[in-house]
Amino acid sequence: MVFLTLSCLIRSRGPDRYWKVQEVLKHARHFRGRKNRCYSLAVRAVRRAFLYATKARKLKKRNMRTLWISRIAAASREHGMKYPALIHNLIKCSVQLNRHVISDLAITEPRSFLSLAKLARARQQEGFRAALGDGKETPGVLSRVVFLQ
Amino acid sequence: MRSSHVSPKMALSRVCPRLWRACSLSFPLQSSLLPAAVRLQSSASSTPTPAEPPVPRTSLSLPPWAGAPSPVPLEEEQRQHAAVMTAVNSIISGQDFGRLFAVVYFAGRQWKVTDEDLILVENHIEAECGDRIRLEKVLLVGAQDFTLVGRPLLAKELVRVDATVIEKTESVPKVNMKFWKRHRFQKKKIIIQPQTVLRINNIRLAQRLHESYQILFVDGFVSK
Repeated sequence: MVFLTLSCLIRSRGPDRYWKVQEVLKHARHFRGRKNRCYSLAVRAVRRAFLYATKARKLKKRNMRTLWISRIAAASREHGMKYPALIHNLIKCSVQLNRHVISDLAITEPRSFLSLAKLARARQQEGFRAALGDGKETPGVLSRVVFLQ
Repeated sequence: MRSSHVSPKMALSRVCPRLWRACSLSFPLQSSLLPAAVRLQSSASSTPTPAEPPVPRTSLSLPPWAGAPSPVPLEEEQRQHAAVMTAVNSIISGQDFGRLFAVVYFAGRQWKVTDEDLILVENHIEAECGDRIRLEKVLLVGAQDFTLVGRPLLAKELVRVDATVIEKTESVPKVNMKFWKRHRFQKKKIIIQPQTVLRINNIRLAQRLHESYQILFVDGFVSK
């Protein structure tokens, strides 16, 4: 081809490459190394960063719940109860506080947490008493206990 | 004012008689088997010794928990009920309990709030800026000397939590990206959620507890 004028010789690729590149680089400015300056490296790093952020939003919910559970377990062991016993007995008392709030109470309101622990322990003892009954076997059941009595 | 917790052990609960009456009798297994043990021993021993149960001790011969404590008799329980109720009522009617905190269920989440708190709710609320709102689902209210635990909610006449809508904005833009390598699959979506900011104005308790609340548990807290 023979270009007879300058405007035909120079191709115009697009007017806004600069701004498209800046859109990616602005998310990479706090990165370390050349990936905060060079577009090809930055594109990959920014994509990884967005992916990690997306996945972490789901993981955060799981991690926070694990954290609350371990805090509640530690606080209830200070009062001589275990986490499953505490939670199960609170549910049986129809107290519907979630783990977030119970762990906050354990940290900032120790007396209220102690009262919840005692409530759960009382319910636990009630359950044991109901299970033990009066110490006799149910009528019509033959067992070692009945035979030896 | 800092009063110590009431000493007798009890609890207050709504009138739900199904489980919360004291069990009439609960003898641990050993006591019922003691007479059997004495009979089975040789005739030479006349004095009843605290012998083991006749069942050989295996991992399953006794329940895994230690012997259940004997339940409190009914009159004692009612006396303790009255004692705790008068104690807590005197605190509440005096209205000098200081700062109250409450656990409130709002917008699918539970929040532990006090007066002058700010709450950021990640969704749209059907109220204009400056509207006063009453948060009705209260699960727990506490002060320095007592706690009221709802089972699951406390009565609306008992607690009142007022809030004001301060601000209705949008969140920062969050990026939701999907990418499969070597498949030329990539999606990017920007999420902006409406947010509302509430200021908790005050938490108020009613004048006195209703007499129909049945005692469930004690030590200075009232569980309804």
